[in-house]
Amino acid sequence: MSEASPRLRTFALVFGIAFALLYLICDMGRLPLFTYHPGTDRIDFGWVPARRDEGPAMYWYGWIAASLIGATALGVLAALLPDRVAGKIPLSLCWIVPVLLTPVIIYSLGFYWRW
Amino acid sequence: MDFLLDYISVNTFWTILLIVHGLLAVALLGALTHQAMAVLMPVRGAAGSDHFMARFRAVSGPRYANAVCLLWVICFILGAWLYTKYRIYVRIPIEQEGFWKTLGVFELKEHLTTFGLACLPIYWLLWKNAGKREYDSARKWLTAWLAAICWFAFLVGHIVNNVRGYGS
Repeated sequence: MSEASPRLRTFALVFGIAFALLYLICDMGRLPLFTYHPGTDRIDFGWVPARRDEGPAMYWYGWIAASLIGATALGVLAALLPDRVAGKIPLSLCWIVPVLLTPVIIYSLGFYWRW
Repeated sequence: MDFLLDYISVNTFWTILLIVHGLLAVALLGALTHQAMAVLMPVRGAAGSDHFMARFRAVSGPRYANAVCLLWVICFILGAWLYTKYRIYVRIPIEQEGFWKTLGVFELKEHLTTFGLACLPIYWLLWKNAGKREYDSARKWLTAWLAAICWFAFLVGHIVNNVRGYGS
């Protein structure tokens, strides 16, 4: 099996970490790239509230798109770092960051945990 | 896709899509559970290798990596597609019934599966370099984390489906 290049390893690692962080920021900060209105198939740029008589608004796709762009950019930038610097990013962050962010995501859904 | 609707109803189309999504999730769950068991409780030596659990754990983890990535992506795309209909035809009636925690865990499922999706590039890379000992720990815990997300998503999907039902 071929060895992974250090740059590919750095990109994949930073992409995963950055995506989780950016996704959380986009979710909690109301920062979707776009808003989708499934009732009318309308797409608006940025965060737009649901329109009267047009059904709900969906932000999830917009959060993913924004996080994808940001994480890709950060991953590419990290891959350009010298190997001795990039090699110091702990590999364990690939699972520690999303695990640590999970309670925050649960907290962000506080609206639903009503009894 | 419109030509399909000449032969089947809109309801049938979305129901088939939901069933395919569920079946692929079963395959993903099986693959990830095998792989997670193999890294968390590896079989050492030949002792007990005839037992069911030993065989269950004795799979070759790297062989599952491509399938896991592919299944996760396909399940995610199908789920994202279904989500548009869920938002209108499933979520709104559940809101009207006041099942807020059911909706909450479903939202959590969407968030966690998205986290999982973003982990796939490093997951794939760690498994494609299964011979590297310095990757062992990250590979083990990332696989366990993805398996945990998959189990959670699978169970929550079932719960929500049980609340509203097929063809709704």
